[in-house]
Amino acid sequence: MKEVSMYTLSTCPWCRKAKKFFADRNIPFNYIDYDLADEATQGKIMQELDAAGVTGFPYVKIGDEVISGYQPERYSSALRL
Amino acid sequence: METESRKKALHYFFDKVVGPLGFKFTPDVELMDFLLEQEVVLEGKHGIPFCPCQPLRHDRARDMQIVCPCIPFHREHFDAIKRCWCGLFVHKDVMDPDSLPQLPPKDVGLE
Repeated sequence: MKEVSMYTLSTCPWCRKAKKFFADRNIPFNYIDYDLADEATQGKIMQELDAAGVTGFPYVKIGDEVISGYQPERYSSALRL
Repeated sequence: METESRKKALHYFFDKVVGPLGFKFTPDVELMDFLLEQEVVLEGKHGIPFCPCQPLRHDRARDMQIVCPCIPFHREHFDAIKRCWCGLFVHKDVMDPDSLPQLPPKDVGLE
């Protein structure tokens, strides 16, 4: 199974949906709520987003694939569900 | 100010602003209510109702571009996906907001 990690915002309903998508399928994932993170972590996350050309959350990484936004079909496809 | 009354005030103000831009509030009332509530929380924390789905960079010029309603700053992108990033607003002709995926600019041929 590919590793799933996410950067999210605690205020964002689409980030909540993304978390629920993986939780409902018993797919383990890691996440950091950007808005609740310390300044150093926020800076690191923003560098990663800028490098990927991404501006909005959720920011989902499945293996090496980056998926910006709540896109359940793409999550399924990346995981070959 | 109490959360519910501030939500109503934001709704009143935003409605006046987004209409002339070709947008309206999402017909998904539950989503609208949640997003307005988050904006009231963000306004309480930062003094400004920022978009609940875009990160604050602590760079004033860039952060001003995610003050709700942020449509004028992302017009081309939001017109392409017929909604704003958080989904609080959709194009006036949209009746089924669930049919609109949350696509980033590069997925719709921008950037």
